[in-house]
Amino acid sequence: MSRVIGELEELILLAVCILDGDGYGISVKKEVERHTERSILLGAVHITLYRLQDKGLLKSHLGGSSEKRGDRRKRLFRITNKGMEQLRASQDVRQKMWSLIPQLTPGS
Amino acid sequence: MSKSQKSIARKLASTLIQRWVGHAYIEEFLGDLDEMYEDRLAARGKFIAEGMYWVDAIHLTVGFSSTVKKQSHSMFIGNMIKIAWRSAVHQKQFTILNLLGLTLGVATCLAIGLYVYDESTYDTFHANGDRIYRINQSMIWGDWNEEFGSTGPGVTEAIRTDIPDFEQVTRIFYVGDQLMRVTIDDKATHFNETKYYAAEDNFFKVFLFPFLKGDPKTALKEANSIVITASTAKRYFGDADPMGKMIEAKSTTGTYTPFTITGVLADIPTQSHLQFDMLSSLYSVAGFKDQRYTWIWTIFGTYGLVNKGTDVAALTKKLQALPPKWAGQTTQRVFNQTFEQFTKGQPWTLYLQPIQDIYLAKSPGFNRFGPKGNPQFVMIFGAVGILVLLLSSINFMNLSTARSSNRAKEVGVRKVLGSKKSTLVRQFIVESVLFVTVSTVVALILVQLSLNAFNTVAEKKLSLLPHLTNPYFFGMLAAFILIVGLGAGSYPALYLSAFKPAETLKGKLRAGFKGTGIRNGLVVFQFTVSIALIICTFFVQKQLSYTRTIDVGISKDHVLQLYNMHQLGKGVDVLKARLQNNSAFAVVGKSSFIPPYVWGGDRYRAEGPDQPVVDLHYMSCDENYLRLLQVEFITGRNFDPANAADKYNIIINEEAARILGYGSKETWGDKSPLGKFVVQSFGSEEKLQIIGVVKDFNFNSVKQRIEPLLIMNSDNDKHWSYTAGFPSYLSMRLNPASVQNGDELQRIIDGVKAEVTKVDPSVTFQYSFMDEEFDNTFREERKMSVVLNLFTVLAIVIACLGLFGLAAFSADQRKKELGIRKLHGASIQHLIFLFSSEFTKLVAASIAIAIPIAYLMTDYWLSNFAYRTPIDIWVFIIAGVTAMSIAAFTVGFQSFSAANANPVEVLKNE
Repeated sequence: MSRVIGELEELILLAVCILDGDGYGISVKKEVERHTERSILLGAVHITLYRLQDKGLLKSHLGGSSEKRGDRRKRLFRITNKGMEQLRASQDVRQKMWSLIPQLTPGS
Repeated sequence: MSKSQKSIARKLASTLIQRWVGHAYIEEFLGDLDEMYEDRLAARGKFIAEGMYWVDAIHLTVGFSSTVKKQSHSMFIGNMIKIAWRSAVHQKQFTILNLLGLTLGVATCLAIGLYVYDESTYDTFHANGDRIYRINQSMIWGDWNEEFGSTGPGVTEAIRTDIPDFEQVTRIFYVGDQLMRVTIDDKATHFNETKYYAAEDNFFKVFLFPFLKGDPKTALKEANSIVITASTAKRYFGDADPMGKMIEAKSTTGTYTPFTITGVLADIPTQSHLQFDMLSSLYSVAGFKDQRYTWIWTIFGTYGLVNKGTDVAALTKKLQALPPKWAGQTTQRVFNQTFEQFTKGQPWTLYLQPIQDIYLAKSPGFNRFGPKGNPQFVMIFGAVGILVLLLSSINFMNLSTARSSNRAKEVGVRKVLGSKKSTLVRQFIVESVLFVTVSTVVALILVQLSLNAFNTVAEKKLSLLPHLTNPYFFGMLAAFILIVGLGAGSYPALYLSAFKPAETLKGKLRAGFKGTGIRNGLVVFQFTVSIALIICTFFVQKQLSYTRTIDVGISKDHVLQLYNMHQLGKGVDVLKARLQNNSAFAVVGKSSFIPPYVWGGDRYRAEGPDQPVVDLHYMSCDENYLRLLQVEFITGRNFDPANAADKYNIIINEEAARILGYGSKETWGDKSPLGKFVVQSFGSEEKLQIIGVVKDFNFNSVKQRIEPLLIMNSDNDKHWSYTAGFPSYLSMRLNPASVQNGDELQRIIDGVKAEVTKVDPSVTFQYSFMDEEFDNTFREERKMSVVLNLFTVLAIVIACLGLFGLAAFSADQRKKELGIRKLHGASIQHLIFLFSSEFTKLVAASIAIAIPIAYLMTDYWLSNFAYRTPIDIWVFIIAGVTAMSIAAFTVGFQSFSAANANPVEVLKNE
């Protein structure tokens, strides 16, 4: 397992964590857009979700339809243990790197 | 949203996904797309939602196309696009010519399509539109077989009594130019209203024009109530609430009648044949109450809302019983004639015209209440649009076919490597469909960018964007792309893919390629159309400039004319006297009409037993006006102000003398009409003595023959007429010496304006020049000629692009042949001649075909005009020579470079 993953991958992993079982294409897209204040295409979300699933960081099942969707089910994603590990690992990398920045005093 | 409401565009997008995305994903993706669509629809509107649906669908398709089970398709599509791109880049010249021609053609056709669509969808916005009919009748004041768009008010009364099939029948009345006054904070402001009608109180039960303020049910109930449009309200009151406020209408006697504003309408859509700024209640119109049963006051628009499910044909039949039953009372009272005597056996027919048809119908050709379209122009434009599209499509197919024969080797190699025939067919078709798609998209952008300029020329408010969300529009584009794409692609696809690889690789195909017959035929077709267009455009121009030079029989240059003079009432004579003192004017005259707009007409007969009743145009004027026009007297004299009796005397034109039964100058001998009496066949039977006969002059557009005219003295106060005694115009002949330049002219006009204001500051100052007004009667034709010129140039450009492409192709094909000829001693001139003659033959054939076609079309168009320019031979010769030289120039470059090539270069690689 590599120590880091792509930025969008990380954001989407985090969004799936936050949504805690309710994460599917649109809700993940909205979550990411809400936090980053930038808009991303639905296709990009789907592609990333499936890539993460292929890497074994996410798992999914079909469920929960609504009338709005024309009674079609959504694919709900959940993070795997491996996914959590990956998130922590990349968090650690960042933490470590932050700690290596020379302490700058304001104004200097 | 339920599935049934899904638009075609979205269905198409979801089909795309179903086709190209793996099965496992489809349910989820479609669900997501629909959900997003709903959210966006609510937040940002249909246009964005629809567009983003597509963007997302395509993005998903591209992202997941590798997941589809049948992988071959998506891989091949990618591969095909790659090959198409490579061959496009490989033959840059062809590609650009090909795309350019097609793009121009599609753009032209789209622009014309928008225009035609706009013209043919007038009055489609009415809520009850399918049940609203205008009631037309026979033109009882002229040709009874002609359909006339107005009726007398009696028709409505008769329908209300006798015909239960109408839910509502309503009348409107064109008031004409009306000076209005509004007083705000003791400050009076005047407006001249030209779009002012009076309407019956049930008008808004038939036409559901939306009210911004006020109640449509009661707005026109009371006399002297008035409904205005939002922009009129803004003009009068700014942002203040106009409801209940007063505006006043000035009468010809100078008194003001107050009207109360009872409603504010949203502005009338431009695509309405009824265009008004103000509607007052019909009961405010003087004389309406007493006259409402009459059948001969034929200036009312009568509109009916039929009951649901009415059989219109049967209803029309039923209506025919009305005129004989009801109109007789009117003819008896007014003309002292029975219905049969009045009609002389001609049919007084009532017609029902669906409201959507009114604007563009061929007949009636005149709409009193707003704009009238010209079906002939729409037809011509439509035809030109289709022709240009056809030309460019043919061009495209032609060039694609020519180009593809260069690819015989590629086909051979592909086959050797195991390509199936179906794959090759698909390759060629995908390529050409791709090309057409690119052209269409570019054309759409081009139209959008040039629409403003087009709108200025065509005086329209067209826009492309609203059509982009219309599924039918998309459907048509898709159909076009498929038809042209398949058409252009199928020939090479089927022909080339059928070859045996061994032969194509050996190069045998070149010799055997048999597309030339078809291609030559197509070139001939293109040039035929172009040449015919050149000739027709030429004649349109020629006719237009000819009409300017026609001697109209009066001197129309240097005549300045002032409008709205009836608003002065008796003050007109004060103004006339003042203007006469101005040395810039040779003569100042007043009149009730000004050429070329003498519309007034009435029925008269020569005095004596058994004289036929005839329709005469009439105008009233003073002796100065006839001097100003410089009309020529055949016999008799002008009005004489010193002679009191002249007040009731008249002057007629030659045509009137003929039609009244006096004969012509040659035949009347010493029994001239001078001193004879003409009787108005109406009411008073008042006798009018003829004191002069003038030579015929054009008092209406020179499109028409000169009609009979009766000229009355403007001081005649007995004659029944709207305008008698109150001339609407003052005209001045300018001394040419005092108008050497535009500044002087402007000073004179400013001076006149100051004089008018001095006499009555409320009068609307409006002026024109008579020669310009004569020109204006050809406005429509001129507009048409501008647009036609533009499209002719386009057609020629497209045809030349095609010819250039073919010549380039042929040069490429024949370079070895020409090289060998050169080696054997052929001169460059000879080679150029040899090469060009192939194409000049085609153009010559086109000229031969185009001339008779153009002759017939020109002859047909010119038959609209009473005075027509001769169809001269030299126009055809010039058009032919022009076409030939354009073609020669186009081919010349290719033939020169082909003939000039070094034979060693072209022959060395085999």
